[in-house]
Amino acid sequence: MRFEVFRQEKRKEYHQHVGDVHAPDMELAKQYAQVIHARRKPANSLWVVPKDEIGTVDADEQSVEMGGTTQKQYRWATNFATGEMPEEIEESEREQQSVERDAAGESDD
Amino acid sequence: MNIEQVKERAGPREFGPSDEMPEPYRKAATRMIQFHANSEIMGALIERPFIRQAPSLERKLAVSAQVQDEIGHGQLLYRAAEQLGVKTREEMLDELADGRGKFLNCFHYPLDHWYELPMIMFFVDGAAMRRQASLKRTSWEPYAHAIDKICFEEGFHIKHGEDILREIATGSRRDKELLQDAFEKWWPRILQFFGPTDDDSTHGGFAQEVGLKTMSNDDLRNAFLNAYLPKAEKYGLEIPEYPRIEYDESRDHYEIENSDLDWAEFETVSKNEYPPGREQIDSRGRRQEAVDWVREAIMDDSTTAVTGTTGAAAD
Ligand SMILES: [Fe+2]
Ligand SMILES: [Fe+2]
Repeated sequence: MRFEVFRQEKRKEYHQHVGDVHAPDMELAKQYAQVIHARRKPANSLWVVPKDEIGTVDADEQSVEMGGTTQKQYRWATNFATGEMPEEIEESEREQQSVERDAAGESDD
Repeated sequence: MNIEQVKERAGPREFGPSDEMPEPYRKAATRMIQFHANSEIMGALIERPFIRQAPSLERKLAVSAQVQDEIGHGQLLYRAAEQLGVKTREEMLDELADGRGKFLNCFHYPLDHWYELPMIMFFVDGAAMRRQASLKRTSWEPYAHAIDKICFEEGFHIKHGEDILREIATGSRRDKELLQDAFEKWWPRILQFFGPTDDDSTHGGFAQEVGLKTMSNDDLRNAFLNAYLPKAEKYGLEIPEYPRIEYDESRDHYEIENSDLDWAEFETVSKNEYPPGREQIDSRGRRQEAVDWVREAIMDDSTTAVTGTTGAAAD
């Protein structure tokens, strides 16, 4: 059976997908995950999830429009030039910019 | 955990569904997040007519994207509240529809005109964003996670709101006059957004002690005024003489003359008894009822009836 592994590096952070393991059952899957994905890299917690239990939605499926698959300039903070903004707005915009940059980088190669 | 231990450990993102939280914490957190979620929904409800009334296609697209975002914020927040185990999402939606659910004062007032829209989209959303940014450090982790996503999206709302404000403010003389009228109508309500200044609002003290809230209402209002008064001036808006606001340089603090604001109306609004707000709530109730059959269809037959038809709605 295949299990996907999500690692949380430090307390309070998000769990992020780091890979998978093959194991006959959950008990062994957890052990493998620990050895493979948390032995060297710092980890505070792991989520181990049977692959079959995970629902998937792909961007190229019909009737699904996901972020980054559409050109929708009007809904980005970067679309509006309004001068200096309060710090929390600037931060929101920086987060959006970095997502935009990633998306642009992907379509370049 | 007992309350003393909670107060001791309280810190950013400290508690989550795997912690056994005492009832007073769970109730206070539910009250706060439910209020926030309700406000997202009611805010979307008063902005929605402007999808139709937008003066250009660009504006129409942006307003509709924003309304979608707000509904999404509501959904995220009900989920974060639900995990406290006090109320289910259904209960919270029912409470909103039947007038028991509370929400922000500003969303009890009708929005009659395009010129009023930036009052909500820029100033009210700006005030809300000030508060939300401080909640990235709330102690209920699922709340903080919802806030992460909300803050990511919210920058667009406020900049779009300011862009509408700029467009009107640089228009004809008549535009400017109508904008000033709208500002004068909304300014006192915006000042009331954070509650009365001398009020350690009944729940504020406890919510801060257990880390749910990280800033007092007074500090939030002050930070808001610091950032947004210069913006109002930038667009040629005249700050009304009343309510009186005085800046105390030594404390870097704005003092608002509380008695210049209509707190009796604020009370009525907070109790969901202000007639125009009541109409908004009833309207929400009718919509909730109108789509009952959809919820039922999903519950009855979650595998066939509805799948495949909802995909494009929430991107
Ligand atoms: Fe929102
Ligand atoms: Fe917003």
